[in-house]
Amino acid sequence: MIRSSALSLALGYVALGLTALVLFAAPLWYAWQVTIQDGRAEILQADAQRLTDIYKRDGADAVKTFIDTRVSMQIAGERILLLTDASLHPLAGNLHAWPATVPQTAGNYTIPVKGNNGDQQTLVHVATLGSDYLLVGRDNALFQPLQTRFWYGLSAAVAVLCIAGLLVGLITRRALMSRVHSIRQTVSAIIHGDLKHRLPTHLSDDELNTLSLTINGMLDQIELLVHGVRNVSNSIAHDLRTPLAELRSRLEELSLIRPSTEETYAEIDGAVADVDRVIRIFDALLRLAEIDAGMRRSGFVSLDVSDLAANAVEFYEPAAELKDIDLRMRSNGPLLVSADPVLLAQALSNLIDNALKYAPLRGSIEVAVQKLDDLRAEISVSDNGPGIDDEEKTKVMQRFYRGDASRGTPGVGLGLSLVQAVAKLHGSTLELRDNGPGLRVVMTVPIEPSGASLRDAQQPALPASEVVAPPTLASLP
Amino acid sequence: MKILLVEDNERVSQFVIKGLQEAGHTTDHAANGRDGMFLAASEPYDVIIMDRMLPGDIDGLAIIEVLRKAGKRTPILILSALSEVDDRIRGLRSGGDDYLTKPFAFGELLARIDALHRRAEGVDHEIPLTVGDLHVDPLTRKVTRGDRPITLQPREFKLLEYLMRHAGQVVTRTMLLENVWDYHFDPQTNVVDVHISKLRQKIDAEFERPLLKTVRNAGYMVTAGD
Repeated sequence: MIRSSALSLALGYVALGLTALVLFAAPLWYAWQVTIQDGRAEILQADAQRLTDIYKRDGADAVKTFIDTRVSMQIAGERILLLTDASLHPLAGNLHAWPATVPQTAGNYTIPVKGNNGDQQTLVHVATLGSDYLLVGRDNALFQPLQTRFWYGLSAAVAVLCIAGLLVGLITRRALMSRVHSIRQTVSAIIHGDLKHRLPTHLSDDELNTLSLTINGMLDQIELLVHGVRNVSNSIAHDLRTPLAELRSRLEELSLIRPSTEETYAEIDGAVADVDRVIRIFDALLRLAEIDAGMRRSGFVSLDVSDLAANAVEFYEPAAELKDIDLRMRSNGPLLVSADPVLLAQALSNLIDNALKYAPLRGSIEVAVQKLDDLRAEISVSDNGPGIDDEEKTKVMQRFYRGDASRGTPGVGLGLSLVQAVAKLHGSTLELRDNGPGLRVVMTVPIEPSGASLRDAQQPALPASEVVAPPTLASLP
Repeated sequence: MKILLVEDNERVSQFVIKGLQEAGHTTDHAANGRDGMFLAASEPYDVIIMDRMLPGDIDGLAIIEVLRKAGKRTPILILSALSEVDDRIRGLRSGGDDYLTKPFAFGELLARIDALHRRAEGVDHEIPLTVGDLHVDPLTRKVTRGDRPITLQPREFKLLEYLMRHAGQVVTRTMLLENVWDYHFDPQTNVVDVHISKLRQKIDAEFERPLLKTVRNAGYMVTAGD
């Protein structure tokens, strides 16, 4: 119970209230006591003075008579009166003997007097009347009810404070516990795999609600990611299963039919090709995962993107010639960017490869590199092929998606996904635009911030080999 | 060639040892890092094939680093199931000379071992290369076949030069991609073949004896023999 945060908070407030109450009551009590003391002393002094006046006017006997009258009139205990002679022998009054603790000199003293509630400290005044001694006192009975009421009031205040505090604490705890409980139920449903649940929220901006809204946002994101992963793994399952199934049936058939040696070797070659296809898909997926995880950012170097694009164009030139496609390169000279040479080359090669697949015979492909603004360089690959419908544009970037037009062409359906992942790694999105006719794929890479000076730009681009492998490996034949 | 294979997987080891034997090489085999380190340090080998991840407390990269620190210059080919670019860089930085990702085709492994061995024997970048009646001068960049001069594009020259330096050896498509174009990824097309057939047009088409040959399921080879 004590460990409940609501309850301990309430108890804290109760303690604070009690402290405030004490801080308020204690000075009051003190001031009151002082006032009462002073008032009493004054009254006693007045009593003694009156008796002294009687003594002076009418002598000791008159005082004795006065005291006797007073004592007989009064309710016992309310007032204390004692007159003694010089040897402290009582002459009149309601005390049997002179109190031992009180000296025979004028002044105020406190003596214990037996009362209804046991001994009570009572203020007495001593005066000398000639050779006699006079002792006047009043017990506290007059102020007792007031004091009692003060204490009652204080106790009641403390009790109300404690009970209210405890109640508020318990109620808050209950309310809090019920909301925490509903959150816990939702979360445990999510833990058990049902990501559709959301924490209950309402239209207020209290702390718990704000927290719930934030967590719901997080759950939305997680659900999206998990959905994506599920999609990908379904696609992987499909795209790996297909060649694996082919491979399996090929081998099984071989084992059953046992064809001639020559045929067997042909079948084995086919099986190896099937395995290679699986490995290729596998490698492409691993590469994608590697890029997605953002691990390749370490591979960023300063490089001339025009040079990189020119190399890619040169690499594909003979393939373009076979289809009589005009593969052109357009750039305004060296342009230093900050990029991953391996991935950028691979992305560009995928784009050109795609364009070569879809461009018609005697078509044209243009690879263009240009400075977009001070921060970004734009790389685009355009073809005059059939292009992509608007509704298909988002689909083609999904992993393993293959458009109708691509059925029957080699490829695993990961090309554009990889380009997209590379673009994302370089802080860009992949744009598919209409080339009227054809497709224009555009991505941007960040321009090298400091090294973009003319002097650097005229130097040959950093060879990719310096990043990928020690120069000895790539440059030696 | 005397080759050391450090590899813990029995099947892969058998496959490699048998293949190397058929290619005329002698092979020692170590199945763990400790034996591998001992053999590599004590015996003279032409090439070491080192699996990267080995059972026990010594892994392949650690062995390579120790060997290099001890001054052993034996060419080392790293075999690894890790294919990420960073892993490759780390492998080569530790002192390995080449990196091959599992699973691999045996032809690829053999071609790379040959290339490593040839490289270790020393390469003079200035002496002219000759195969049959084909001459390539790396300094003047002149190519002639018989008496006829042949004009090549810069990249075609690089391609031919690489093939000529490995004359009599199989050169795989991946090796060409890596060494001629500096492409460390699989372009998933047959563009290399197209480049080769273009080169063939220039150096072989008008001559009786073709020098640039296709090796089935492996790659290409420049040779004057059959």
